Parts: sequence; C-alpha cells; structure tokens
Amino acid sequence: MKMTKIYEGAYQWIMFGRDESKPDSIIDSNQYMVRTANRCLIMDPGGVELFAPMLAAVMHHAPVEQITDLFASHQDPDIVSSLGLWDQAVPHAKLHAPALWEGFIRHFGCNSIEYVGIPDNGGTIKLENAELQLIPAHYLHSSANFHVYDPQAKILMSGDVGAALEGPGAPMFVDKFDAHMEKMRYFHQRWMPSNQAKRIWIERVRMLDIEILAPQHGRMFKGDNVKRFLDWFEALQVGIAV
Amino acid sequence: MHPINKSSPSQFVAVASIASELSAVMEVAKEISLAAANAKAIAFRAGEKARGFQPITDFINELAKETIELINDFNGHALTFYKLTVSEHRIGDAYKRLELSSKLAQGAQYSHSLQASLDSSKIKMQDCRRQFKGHVMKLLDQLETVMHPARAARVIAANSRIEASQAGEYLQSLQAVAESVDNAAQVIHDNVQRCRSLLSVVVTV
Ligand SMILES: [Fe+2]
Ligand SMILES: [Fe+2]
Repeated sequence: MKMTKIYEGAYQWIMFGRDESKPDSIIDSNQYMVRTANRCLIMDPGGVELFAPMLAAVMHHAPVEQITDLFASHQDPDIVSSLGLWDQAVPHAKLHAPALWEGFIRHFGCNSIEYVGIPDNGGTIKLENAELQLIPAHYLHSSANFHVYDPQAKILMSGDVGAALEGPGAPMFVDKFDAHMEKMRYFHQRWMPSNQAKRIWIERVRMLDIEILAPQHGRMFKGDNVKRFLDWFEALQVGIAV
Repeated sequence: MHPINKSSPSQFVAVASIASELSAVMEVAKEISLAAANAKAIAFRAGEKARGFQPITDFINELAKETIELINDFNGHALTFYKLTVSEHRIGDAYKRLELSSKLAQGAQYSHSLQASLDSSKIKMQDCRRQFKGHVMKLLDQLETVMHPARAARVIAANSRIEASQAGEYLQSLQAVAESVDNAAQVIHDNVQRCRSLLSVVVTV
C-alpha cells in the first residue's frame, strides 16, 4: 500500500492506494485519512480484501486507539464492506455514513462501532482542530451520497466522482488532463445516473475553494486540473445505459 | 495476495444438511401418526378380532407425537447453532485478517497498538468456539433422545405383526400398518444417525 501525504498543516491528510497485494479482479481504491494530534478519520476505508494492508498502513501514522472516526460516502462494497472487520479492530470508533443507507450498511457488520447517520442535507465532522464539511452528492452515483470538504486544506474527497479505471502503478496526480479524460469517460457515463444531480453538484462545488480533488479511484486532481475536471464533467452526458 | 482460509465451509454444509435430514424426519413422523390413525380405524372395525391391536395404535400415535415435539424443540436449538456457526466464522475471519495486518505492519511506528485488538478478538474467537462445541454436544444428546421413540416403534411394529396375525380378514391391512411403522422408524433412525455423524464431523474440524 502506497502512502502519500497530500496536506501538511495544523494536521495532515494522507492518501493510501495502489495496493500491490490486491487481487487483479478487485478494483483499486484510494483511501484517505485526516490525522490530527490525537484522532484519525478514515474516509471510504475500503473492501474486505483491503482491510489488512490498509490497517497495517495506518499503523505507520497512528495507533489503533486514535482511529476514532470512519466515513463512508455511500454503501458500495469497495467503500465499506470491511466494516465488520473494523468493528473488531476499532470497536470504540464512530462511522459517519448516509442515514438512508443505515439498514443496508449494517449488513457488513456494525455491532460495536456507532453508526452516525448523515441526514440528506449533510453536516460536519469535527476532528479536534479540523472541521470537515459533509457535502451532499446524491445520485453521484449512489442515491444517498456525500463528499468531504476541508476548507482549511482545500481538499474535496469526492468519492466516485472523478474516478478513473487505471492500470496498477498509475501516478498519484493527473498530469496531462486531455490524456486522462478517456480513462474517466465511460466510468462517469455509466455509473453516474443523473444529469440533473450532476449539474446541481457542479454548481455547489464551484463555490468551494478546492486545491485538490481526491476521488476514490484513480488519480487526484490538483490546481487548474480541478477546474478542468468540473468543466469536462459539466459537458458530459451521463446515465447512458437507458 | 495473502489467501485467507475461511474457518470451514464444510461446517455450513453440515449445518444445512442437518436441517434437511431433520425436516425429512419430521415428515416421516407425521406419516407414522397418520398410519396410527388408519390402524385405529381398522382395529375399530375389526372389533373383537383386533382387540390387542387397539392399545398399540395409541402407543404408535404417542411415539409419533413425541418425535415431532423433540424435533420442534431441536429446531429451536438448531437456530442458535446456525447463529453460532456464523459468528464463529466471522470472528475467526476477523482474527486471521488482524493477524495478517499485524504481520504486514511489522516495523511500523504504531504496530504494537494492534496487540490489544488482536488479543481481544482471539479471546472472542476461543469463547465462540467453546460455546459452539458445547452446543454441538447438547445437540448430540438431543438427537440421542429422538432415537428413543424410533427404537421403541420398531419393537411395537414387531408386536403389531403378532397381533395382526389374529385379526382374521383384517390381517393384511393391519400387517401393512405394522410394515409402514417399521419402515418409518427405520428411516428416522437412519436420518438421525446421519445427523449425529455430521455433527461429530463439525466438532472435529
Ligand atoms: Fe460506488
Ligand atoms: Fe467506488
């Protein structure tokens, strides 16, 4: 599991991904962590197969008892099917996840961890000196879906939005945007169901000051590429399977 | 990739097989109960000639009822057994993955902090295993009791044959009743025996 520090200030953001030990049949995913002095929030902790390498990687940054919060942007297996295992490892933690999905996500096993349901209009997670905003991203692609925005670090963790299906060992950041478009096109057209939801999300996100857009698959976008991505996404017709 | 061996898929198969064996036993017990009612009607018509047969039919009926009750009771326990099988599997899997994680974390600054989770899940796993074994032993005992009425039914069937031989023109129909009780008892006996060996496999896995 590769680890990349993407923000270093009063606290840190760390990206985990490009796990070399994962089976080829499983989609590669990026996990993100906010590390404050005494607490950690892990965003989209990943699937069952990823649990062991992910937890091991976190041990380079924080002890188990400081993993106090988990976040799931939506209910997908690549997002949070490891929940039953985290439930054993960090029984004291809280899971912030869409309230709408509670009865579904609990199928993954959530006996000790506290499920904190996020209402449809979003909310915040306060992690010591980090104040994170939960931005509604419904129907992108899941019917109840949230992104995490950190105004201090200027990072938007955007779940499946901005995702690309790439080969192993892809770089962490998009370098040539034009070349990258093709890797994102089908994913967004097929997985994202609603042009209306997309338009409203873009309006909302354009009002945020974003330095890094951090998706759950593929490469992150930095600086001007964030704006390029929003323009590209705006012009793209989605929901193509019907 | 590090393969994670699941606790034992054969355990789930065994649990499912036990359930199907037992529902078959239930069907057979119902058949016996029907045969007893049938025999009672014949014995009634035969009157004097089948006097010795009447208490036997009541007895057969009692045995069938007892078997059905025992199995109903057993099914309640079996539900706990399924739940234990699943939680044992879950906690066993979690333990293996935590163990792997702690191996992968070797040399990491905070790797020692995994020890507490590892220990507590190991204790939970052992606890679950112990409960599971205890439960299987209890179920084995219960299956032993289910066999009692089946064994008694075979003895009764032999008696019925003797009684039937004195029933004149009703001989054939009463003999058929004795035959079906005997067969049913045999089927119950065999099914329950299979359940017991399935259960013993589960505890030795
Ligand atoms: Fe998804
Ligand atoms: Fe995803």
